Formats: sequence, structure tokens, C-alpha cells
Amino acid sequence: MSQTISSTKRSGGMLSNENRRKITWMLFLLPALVIYLTFMAGPLFDSLRLSLYQGEGYTPTKFVGFQNYIDLFTNPLWRGKFFGAVRHTFIFFGIHMVAQNSLGLLFANLLSSDFKGRNFFRTIIFTPATLSVLVTGFLWTLILNPNWGAVNKILVAMDLREWALPWLGRENLALPVISLTSVWQWVGMPTVMFLAGLMGISDELLEAARIDGASEWDIFWKIKFPLLKPIIGIVAILTFVDNFNAFDVIYAMAGARGEPSYSTDLLATLFYRTGIAGEHPVGIPNMGMGAAIATVTFLILMAGVLLWLYLSRQQAAEEA
Amino acid sequence: MKKLFAMLSVLVLVSMMLASCGSPAPAATEAPAAATEAPAATEAPAATEAPTVAEEVTLTLGSWRVDDVAAWEVITAAFHEEYPNITVKFDPTNPPDYNATLRTQLETGTGPDLYFVRSFATGRELFDAGYVASLKDLPGISDAFTEASRAPWATETGEPYAVPIIAVSHGVYYNKDIFAANGIEIPTTWEELMVASQTLLDAGVIPFANGTKDAWDINEVVMMQYIPSNIGGYEGRMAYLNGERCFNSEEMVASFQQIADMKPFLPTGFEATSYYDAEQLFAQGQAAMMLDGSWSIGAFEKDATDFEWGVFYPPALEGKDQYVTFHIDAAIGANAASPNLEAAMTFLEWLESPTFAELLGNNLPGFFPLTKDAPTLSDPIAADFMAFNSAAAGVDIRFVWEKLLAAPSGNVDAYTSLNNNVIAVLKGEKTPQEAADAFNADLAAWYEPAAACK
Repeated sequence: MSQTISSTKRSGGMLSNENRRKITWMLFLLPALVIYLTFMAGPLFDSLRLSLYQGEGYTPTKFVGFQNYIDLFTNPLWRGKFFGAVRHTFIFFGIHMVAQNSLGLLFANLLSSDFKGRNFFRTIIFTPATLSVLVTGFLWTLILNPNWGAVNKILVAMDLREWALPWLGRENLALPVISLTSVWQWVGMPTVMFLAGLMGISDELLEAARIDGASEWDIFWKIKFPLLKPIIGIVAILTFVDNFNAFDVIYAMAGARGEPSYSTDLLATLFYRTGIAGEHPVGIPNMGMGAAIATVTFLILMAGVLLWLYLSRQQAAEEA
Repeated sequence: MKKLFAMLSVLVLVSMMLASCGSPAPAATEAPAAATEAPAATEAPAATEAPTVAEEVTLTLGSWRVDDVAAWEVITAAFHEEYPNITVKFDPTNPPDYNATLRTQLETGTGPDLYFVRSFATGRELFDAGYVASLKDLPGISDAFTEASRAPWATETGEPYAVPIIAVSHGVYYNKDIFAANGIEIPTTWEELMVASQTLLDAGVIPFANGTKDAWDINEVVMMQYIPSNIGGYEGRMAYLNGERCFNSEEMVASFQQIADMKPFLPTGFEATSYYDAEQLFAQGQAAMMLDGSWSIGAFEKDATDFEWGVFYPPALEGKDQYVTFHIDAAIGANAASPNLEAAMTFLEWLESPTFAELLGNNLPGFFPLTKDAPTLSDPIAADFMAFNSAAAGVDIRFVWEKLLAAPSGNVDAYTSLNNNVIAVLKGEKTPQEAADAFNADLAAWYEPAAACK
């Protein structure tokens, strides 16, 4: 480190001003880079390495090449668990994209117009996002409880007894229901981002459109929506990354096994059971396989992020 | 510049993702202070040096029993009184994290001096890895405990590595007031129990509080209570382990049938009723019965105060002998790398004494000491549980624990398979016969003695 500095100093005279500025700029990056390499990139590559090993305990020592990956994709049990988790994660993501982000757009649009109580509603919509997932998950399991939960009590009171279902106990219901509670919690995030985007749209544009006789509907689809596209892209990619790492809401509402019968098992819960906790009651983790699952999750995420980058740059190029 | 930004943002995004789910950083490695300076395991045990002056020693005792801190403080205080130079500090970890945390501590040389050892495969793995000290020289261990009690923590040659301390029992908790109001006596056969359940259902009471949301409870406290009476206890279980019986035998189908019989008597929405919900349903007097473990005595004594309640054992099918699931659950072993191994051995030897058995049985009602001479228990419900054992044709541990828990990677272990099939029967996805066949197929795939059952 000190050597680098002194050598820069010594050769300083020979460098042009512009080049020296470049080097200084890099030096400022160095501390961040060191932290990044030690705490992010290092563990990342260690995890990739670990996926090639097998063995008991927390320091698997037996090198097995790609055997973990081969098992993951060819052994019927692993394949079933893994593709089940992939499918559930996509459903989880799909429900968030459709419900959370459309609602966010709707709320943002409503909140961007001037009306009484606007701040009140904005606060209401954003509040759940400030709570811990474990807290909201626990609250929703109580609300949805078949024996004393508010939802079923209300349904029974409305004489809709056949609609009072065990929401978190049916394979076909649990994942959508949990996804929707997560949507309820996080809808404030896209709302705030879209709202910021809408605030940035010049009033002159909207006024001109109104004078030309455009309806609110036209204004939304022909003016606001196209101008919001970059933000929609960012919201989409954030939803994607968040959902593919989602663990806490499932853990809080369905447990690490993704009950009922693995129907809410996401990639992260499968990883946790395999690589960290082990299956009840034995609890001996399979670190190598866990790392293999994490690596494949990483590849799926990377593919998604690259696709997004490609599309957003394509769009930027079109506009330029 | 734009390109660089794009690349950096990819890196940051993916590393955020991998840092959160990829890096297998060891979990809690917080070390008990006394063990941090643990020397390597190779150092000769202090016993050979025969120290003449007793030094002050503090031992840590690792456990998964977070709820029992107060009781263990009483127990360790009694030990300290007898051995004033040794202090034992009870230091439990949350049950779901226990195995992983302990493993990390042992691998990094920061493990507790003494710790609770899980039965069979999980504990055996630690012994084989050299983390648990052998107890073949511990005096009195063979006299204090039966071979059956020692077996879950002993090698095939009978070398013990942990002192068995706790067994748990299982039964049906029932609301005496509701039973009396509906004119129901304690049933003596399964058929009578089903008739009684129908009476309760007709009277608008939930007969059984049990549900399946948490999965484990329907398996451990319901299904594994039915199996011993159907298969004939220990001898019957051995017939499965030796391959003389297949896992879809008629006895197993009968057990799945009992699960199917129960279905109409579970709460509406049992699929989403958790173990905690079930205990609340019973404690609030909404359900007449709950199949549960003896460890819940304390919870019910605290919560179910508005009515009289008691326990009975789920009766066997007409014509079958009654067997009881008395599950040998926990033992304490010594860390082979502990610098205070000699003091640890003193504590383990003390665990064989009647003093300890009495302290445990009376401070932790529902957890039963395993010493041959069982003490009298002051808690009436705990005493009722103990009485099941003497009234039964025999007692046995839970069906899947021995040999059937650790399936090779890519196979389904007996616990998971039984659990999934029990739930499938309750949801009407499988008939009892289909469930037993699926259970058999899962085990025949890897458990060698059952290979002929494919």
C-alpha cells in the first residue's frame, strides 16, 4: 500500500495531470474494493468451491467434482425438491410482479393527485413495510387461523361457512395466500418509487394533454406509463432479486419445510434445510449440496439480472 | 464508464444475493468462556496425573432444553453442594439450532465441557468424529441403567459414550369435565374411543385438538403412539429392522387406518392447525382430547386451569395388547477435548445417582429419569404417565428412531416418509394401504434388510 503511494509520487512528474487524477480516483476505490473482495467476493467463490465437496459437518473435505450437481438434477428426490422449489419461487415472484407492482402503480397514481388525507393514505400504505417480516408473518397466521382467526370468523358471520378454509393448510392455497400477505407488506415500496417517478413528470405535459381533451385514462397510458418505464424496470429487477432470495416470510408462516407438504418450499428454504439446518429430527446438514443449490440460485439470478441489463440498455439505445 | 457501472451493478446485485444465501459462514460460534482455551484432544486426560489438590472448576453444560433453565439450576446447585469445587453452568441453545451450533463449536474447539447428546445416528456421528469421550471406564454405568436405556448411546460392542438421563412418554390428555358431561368413561379399546369421539362430535365438541400444520406432531405424538400396540412393541419393531416384516405389513396398514379413523374428529381446518394451536384448543376447553407428549404437563398445568383434566393411553385395537411409547430422548456426554475431563466425568457419574433421578423427575414433570430404580414422582400427572408403563405389555421407543433416521443422500428417511404418508392419509390423498405401500417403497430403496420388500 505505502509502496504504491510512494511509487506514484516518484513517477508523478512524468504523468500528465489527467493520468494522475485517474490513479488518485482508483486509490479512493481501494478500501471499498478490499472490503468487497474480503466480505463479498471471497465467500462467494468459497461457496462455489464448497459445492464441489462432500462430507460431514461444517468442513466438507471430500472433493467430488460435479457430483452434487449431477445428483441435484438426476436423483428423483433431489430433482423433485429442487424443481418444486424453482416452480414455487417463480409463482411467488409472479404473484408479486402482478399484484404488488400493479397495486403499487395504482396507489402511486391515486396518491399523485391532490386530495384530502393524501399523507394519511401514503403513511398507511407504507407502514407495513417498516415492520419485521416475522411479526407480520405471525400476525397473518393468527388472522388466518382456522379456529380463531378473524378472516374465517368474518366469513362464518357472513354465512359463507364453505369459504372459511384452512388457508395455510391446503397445498393449492398456501403459496398464493402467503404471497399475498407478502404483497400486503411490501406494496409500499413500489408505491413510493412510482410516486417519485410520477412527481418527476412535468405538469406542463399533463396540462397540455388535458387542454387537447385527453381523458385521465389516456393520460395514464400515453404519457405517465411510458415515462415511468425506467422505474418499472428497476422495480421489476428489485422484486426479482428479493423474491428469489425470499426466506423469512415462508419461515414465519409455513416453517422451514415449506408446509403443507413442501408446497411453499422456495429455493431459499430448500437451501436452508439442506445446507444449514438439516432435516428434522436428525439435523445433519449437507453443506456441499447446499452450496450447489445456492450456486444454481445464483446462476438463475445472474441470468435474470443480465437480461434486465440487456433490455434496459437496448431501450436506452433506442431512445438515444 | 457506463459499461463499468453496468458491470459493477451486476456484481453488487449478485453478491448481495449470494452473501445472503450462499456463504456457509458458520452460525453462532459464541464460545462459553470456560472452553475457549481448550487444548487439543490429544493431551492426556488429567486423570493420569492424579492431582492431589482439588481445584475450582467451572463446567459448561450444553443443551437444547431452553425451557428448563430454572429446573437445571436447581439440579446443578445440588451437584455443587456435593462437589463444592465443581460448578456446572447450564447453557442451552434453541432446539432447532442445537445440532448445528454444537457441531460448529466442537469443530472450532469451543464446545461445552458437557453436552446433551441426541440418540442414535446424530449422537453416534459425533462419537465417531471423536468429539464425545468414551465412557467405557465410567464406574457404575452398567448397573445404573438397563441395556435398552444405554443402547441409543452405545456402539455395537456396547461401548457407552453418554449417560442416559431423560425419557418422555406420550398419551391422550382429556378434559374430565367434558367427558363427565357426555357420560363418557375412559375407553379401553380403540373402537370404544371412536364411539366416544362420535358422541363428542354429536354434542358439538371437537373430539381431538390435533392438527397437521407443523407436521412433526402428528407423526411423533400421534402415529408413533399407535404403532407399538399394533406391531407388538420392541420385538415387533425388531422384526421390521431385521427384515422379517415389510414396512407395509398389515400391522402398519392398521396404524394408518387409525389415522384415517381419526380424521372426522379433528378440528375443522386441521390442515392449518399448528401444535401450539392444538394445545390452546385443548387448554381453552374447546377440544375434549389431545394426543401429546408428557413434556406438555407443565404447559397444561399453567394454561388449562378452568377444568379438570387427566391422561390415558390411546387404547389398542380390540384384541391387541397395549404397548407404550416411552421414548428415551436425551443423554449427557463429555467433550473429549475438554480441559476438565476429570471433573466432567465426576458429573456424569453423579447422573447415575438416585439423588439426580429424584431431582430431575420432580423438577421437570413429564421428563422421566432412566435409572433402574425409578423414584416416586410428586407430580400426579407425571405419576400417571409412569403408571402406563407398568400397566402395559411392554414399552418401546418411537418406531423410526433406531437405524431408520439417517438415509443416504437422495433417499427418504423413515421419519420424513412416515410423516408425509400420515398427512396424505389425513388429507384423503392416499388410502391406508397406499400410504403403507409408499412407506415401504421409500425404505426398501435404501434400508438393506428391507431390500426384499421392494
